[in-house]
Amino acid sequence: MQSSTIRTAPSHFARALQCTSPGLIRCPRPCIVAKWLQSRNLTTATPAAQEAIPLRKHLKDEAKRKKADAKRDGNTASTKSGADPRLEKWELTVGIEIHAELNTACKLVSSAPAEVLETDNGGMANSRVAMFDAALPGTQPQFQVATLLPALRAAIAFGCEVQRKSGWDRKHYFHWDQPNGYQITQYYQPFAKDGCLVLDASDGVPALDMQGADRLRIGIKQIQMEQDTAKTTNVGSSTYHVDLNRAGVPLIEIITLPQIHSPQTAAAVVRKIQAVLKSVDSCVIGMELGGLRADVNVSVRERGTSGVGSSYSGVSGLGQRTEIKNLSSFKAVEDAIIAERDRQITVLEAGGVIEGETRGWTLGATETTRLRGKEGEVDYRYMPDADLPPLVIGQDLVKHLTSTLPTLPDQLQQDLQDEYNLSLKDAKTLIDLDNGDRLDFFLRTVHSVTAELSISSQAQIGKMVGNWVLHELGGLLTTHQRSWDDVRITADELRDILVCLHQKRITTRVAKQLLADLFQREPAPAARPCVEQLIETGNLRLRPLSEEEYRDLARRIMDESPEMVKAVREKGQKGKVMWFVGQMVRQGEEGTVEPEQARATIERLMGG
Amino acid sequence: MLQHPHQLNALVHDGSATTAGTVEDPSPPGALSGRLIAIKDNIATRDSPTTAASNALTGYTSPFDATVVKLLRQHGATISAKTNLDEFGMGSHSQHSHFAPVLGPYIRNGVPLSPGGSSGGSAVAVATGQCWAALGTDTGGSVRLPAAFTGTVGFKPSYGVMSRWGVIQYANSMDTVGILARNVEDAGRVFRCLDAYDGQDPTSLSVSVRERAARRQPLARGLRIGVPIEYNIVGLAPAVRSAYTRTLGSLQDHGHSLHPVSLPTTRQALSAYYVLAPAEASSNLAKYDGTRYGFRTQGTDASPKSGLPLYARTRGEGFGEEVKRRILLGAYTLSSDAIDNYFIQAQKVRRLVQRDFDGVFTRLNPLLDSDVTMGAGVREEQGVDVLLTPTAPTLPPTVEEVKLQSSVESYMNDVFTVPASLAGLPVISVPVKLSGQGKEVVEEPDVQSVGMQLMGQFGDDQLVLQAAAILEQLDC
Repeated sequence: MQSSTIRTAPSHFARALQCTSPGLIRCPRPCIVAKWLQSRNLTTATPAAQEAIPLRKHLKDEAKRKKADAKRDGNTASTKSGADPRLEKWELTVGIEIHAELNTACKLVSSAPAEVLETDNGGMANSRVAMFDAALPGTQPQFQVATLLPALRAAIAFGCEVQRKSGWDRKHYFHWDQPNGYQITQYYQPFAKDGCLVLDASDGVPALDMQGADRLRIGIKQIQMEQDTAKTTNVGSSTYHVDLNRAGVPLIEIITLPQIHSPQTAAAVVRKIQAVLKSVDSCVIGMELGGLRADVNVSVRERGTSGVGSSYSGVSGLGQRTEIKNLSSFKAVEDAIIAERDRQITVLEAGGVIEGETRGWTLGATETTRLRGKEGEVDYRYMPDADLPPLVIGQDLVKHLTSTLPTLPDQLQQDLQDEYNLSLKDAKTLIDLDNGDRLDFFLRTVHSVTAELSISSQAQIGKMVGNWVLHELGGLLTTHQRSWDDVRITADELRDILVCLHQKRITTRVAKQLLADLFQREPAPAARPCVEQLIETGNLRLRPLSEEEYRDLARRIMDESPEMVKAVREKGQKGKVMWFVGQMVRQGEEGTVEPEQARATIERLMGG
Repeated sequence: MLQHPHQLNALVHDGSATTAGTVEDPSPPGALSGRLIAIKDNIATRDSPTTAASNALTGYTSPFDATVVKLLRQHGATISAKTNLDEFGMGSHSQHSHFAPVLGPYIRNGVPLSPGGSSGGSAVAVATGQCWAALGTDTGGSVRLPAAFTGTVGFKPSYGVMSRWGVIQYANSMDTVGILARNVEDAGRVFRCLDAYDGQDPTSLSVSVRERAARRQPLARGLRIGVPIEYNIVGLAPAVRSAYTRTLGSLQDHGHSLHPVSLPTTRQALSAYYVLAPAEASSNLAKYDGTRYGFRTQGTDASPKSGLPLYARTRGEGFGEEVKRRILLGAYTLSSDAIDNYFIQAQKVRRLVQRDFDGVFTRLNPLLDSDVTMGAGVREEQGVDVLLTPTAPTLPPTVEEVKLQSSVESYMNDVFTVPASLAGLPVISVPVKLSGQGKEVVEEPDVQSVGMQLMGQFGDDQLVLQAAAILEQLDC
C-alpha cells in the first residue's frame, strides 16, 4: 500500500499539519486546478495595498468630475447623465453583498484563535486550527458566543432588526479551502434584517443619484454570520499550500437591496459600510488588506420600463442581472460595475439578451469576463445544521450594545465640524485615515494643546491642529514615503510645537522645521530632545523685528526686484505681494520674520 | 451457534485482550473495572484505527478518544476491540463493510444468518462472548436490529443523553450511541457511566433538562403498555407475531395493562427517514476528500473531466456502493429543485411522528414548554408509560437472502425502528424466546429468540430500562 494512503492525524493536529505538509502540498494537477480556481474566481494572495484609493484623492476626483459635469451641462445644456448618451436610455441597478471579517478573538464555531497571537511565532501556517476546523471525523462545531458581539454591533449600527431567533445552515461545495465540504452560514434565518445605510453627497454620491434630496437611503436586506474559508497559496506551477488558520474565522455578509443606480454610489456604499464597521469596531481590517470583499449584482433596464421583469431581494421589474464576485477594492467595485453596465447595454442595444451568469473582474481590466453560466452554477444544497442549536438573542443584550455603541462616522463627522471647527472634507479624511489612528492623534493633540493654553473651546484651535495633523504631517509622510505606523512624533511633541506657535514664540516656518526635524529622529528618547531644547540650541526663538527693520528689509527686496514692484503697482497683480512676503521670510534672519507683519509692511510700501 | 466466533468477522481492530470476562491487568477501579468492552469502529479511539469500515478512512487513527470511550476508560473498562459495521453505519445487515461482511452467529440450512446492522460487529461480539458489552451507534435502528437478530439486548438512549463527540456522523440529527449487552442489567450499568452532559457535543442534553427528567417519580404500579395498531402490518412474520402476542399476554398476566394506541404517521416515517438520513449523510460525508487524512487515490486525483471537483476519483474509490447510493440520494433531495418536495416534507413528517408519540405517552416531552402541542396520536385518557412492538417484522434472513434483496427491501427492515429515531426516543430491544410451537420448527443452530422493542417518552431512559428488566424476567 502506498504510504500516501496510510495517513494518521496525530494528536496535535495543528502542529502535525506543518510537519506532514506533503499531505497538503500535493501533486501536479495544473490545468484542472487553475480552471477550478478560476471558475470560482479565487484570489489567493492578499490584494496589493495600492488598490485602495485614499478618501482624499477620491474626494478630489469626485470634485473634478462634478466640475467637468457642470461644465459640460453648461455647454451642451442637453444632458445630466454624463458622457455616454446611452445612459439616458438605460438605467443601471446594483445590489451589493459585502463579506467582512469580524474583529473577534476566536473562530465562529471553534475555540481556535481567529487572529495572530503574540506567542504564536508570527502566525505560522496551520497553527491556529481546532480539530473541527480540520474536519476531523467525529468533531462537532461549538458556537462561540463572543463572536456575536461585533456582529451585533454592526447590525445595530446599520439599524437592522435583530432577530430573536436565527439559525445555522450548511452551504455545500467542494473545495480544498473548505475542509468540511460545507460552510456554516445563516441562509434560511439570518440574525439581522431590514437595516439601511444613509449617504449624502459628501460620501461621493453623484447629484443625479440624490435626485434633489439631501440624503440617499440604501436598504440593507439582511446581515448574516458565516465562516471564512482556508487560504490557498499557489506555490510554483502545480503546488498549492492550504493554510487552515483562516478556516472558520467569523465573517458577516451584508446584503444591500438593489437600490443603487450608479457605479460611484456603489463604491460609496462599500466605502461607507467599511467606515461604519470600523467605527463600531466590528471589523478592523480594511478592504485594502483583504478584510472586506464585495460581490456585486448588476443589471440594466430601459428607463421607464420594468426591464425583463427580473427580481431579487424583493425588488422586481429589473433587467436580467449578472454577478461579479470577489471585488477587493473600492476602485474595483466602481470600475467593474462601469464595465459590466456598458457591456450589458451594448448587448441589449444590439438586440441581444443578457444571460444570468457569474462574471469576473481583474484589476486594470476594461471588461468583465464570463466565469460560469446558470448551468454551471453550484447548487449549494442549503440545509439546516442540526448540530448547532438556534441562535437566540435577547433584547437586553441588544439594548446594552445599543447604549454602548461607539459614535458612528456620520455623527463623528458632525461633531468634528461643530466642535472642532473642521471642514467637512478634513473631518471625513481624519475619520477615514489610518484606521482611526490619525483621528486619535488629532484628538489627543487638541486636548493637550487646549489644556496647555487653558483655552475653553476646542473650536479655537481645532482647525489649526487639523491642518498640522492632516497636511503638514501628511506632507512629510508623502515626502518620506512612510506610513502612519512609522510616525515617531508624539502628540505631546506636536503640542509643544503648536503651543509655541500659538504664543508667537516661533514662526510658522520654524514650527514646520521643528516638525520635520522630529519626524526624522529615531524613536529612542535619547535621540529626541524636547521642543524647547531644539528651539534653544537652534536659536529659533522669534525675535520680533521693529517696524523699522521690517521696512528696511522690505525696501531692500523691492529695490532688487523693480519688475515685481511694477507688476504690483502698475498692473495691479496683488498676488505678487506674497512673493515679497516669501522673500522677506527667506532673507530675514531665521525665526525673526512673521508673514503677517511682512505682508502689512509690503502692502503699506506698495500703496505708498 | 456453531461457528467459531472468530470466523464471524465481528472485530476489525483487536485491542489488548480478546477473551471474554475479566482481564488480569490491574485496571482502574470503577463500575466497569476489568470489563472488556468493544467499540463500533465509527467511534473514535486514539489507540487503534477508526475507519467506519470505509476505504475512505483506511489507516486513519483519531488523535482523540470519543467522550463515551473516555468515560468507559474512566470507569475502569478495557477497550478490547473495534467492531465491524456497515460502512459509516449505512445498512441493516452489516454486509456493506470494507472489511468484508459480518456473519451472524446463527445458521439456517447451512447458511449464516444476518447479524443485523449496522452495529452487527458489536452485537456478534457480545453474543459470542468476545466482549462483555459493546458500544454501537443507532441512527435508524442500528443497535436494536442487530440485538434482535443476535439474541442480545440493544439500548438506544434518548438523543442527546450520551455524547456524540468523537462519533463519526452519518445522520447527525438522529445518530445516537447505543449499548449492546447480554442482559438489561449490564446495559444499564454501562448506560449509567455514559449518561453525562458533554460540553463538546453541542447537542448534548443540558443539565437542566436532565434534572427535569431525573425528577420524575419512579414507577410504583404496573406498567401501562401501549400497543400501536399501525405496527400490526401484513408483512409481520408469523413467528414474530406469535412471540409478540405471547409477550403481550404474559405482561398482562403479570399485572401490567395493555392499551391500543394509534400513531397515524408511522406509515410515512420510513420514507421520511430515508429522505432525511441520506440528506444529512451527503453533508456529513463531504469532508472525506483525501486532502487531510484517510484514503486518497493514487497519482493525480484530479478528475480528467473539466468541471468536476478535484476529489471525484478519491471519493468514488473511497466509498462503497451503499454509501454512494445514499450520498447521491441525499444530494438530490437537498437540491434546489427537490428540497421542497423531499427534505422539507420529510421534516414535517418527522415533526408529526414526534407529536404522535407525545400524544400517547403519559409523561410530557421535557423538550416542549407545555402540553399544547399534542399531536394526532390517539390515546386513552391517561396515556401509556411505554410502547411495545417487535424490533423487526421478520426473523433474521440468511446472508444469501440479504444479497437478493433490493435496497428498498432491505430498508423495510427498519420500519419498526425508525419512528423512535425520528423522535429521538429512548428504546431498547430485548430478546424473548420464540414461542413453544416455534421450537419444533426452528432447528438448533437457527435463531432462538425474537427482539421486542420498548419505547419510552423522551428522557424516560430509566423507565425504559426498568420496563426492559420486567420484560426480560417474563417466563414466557
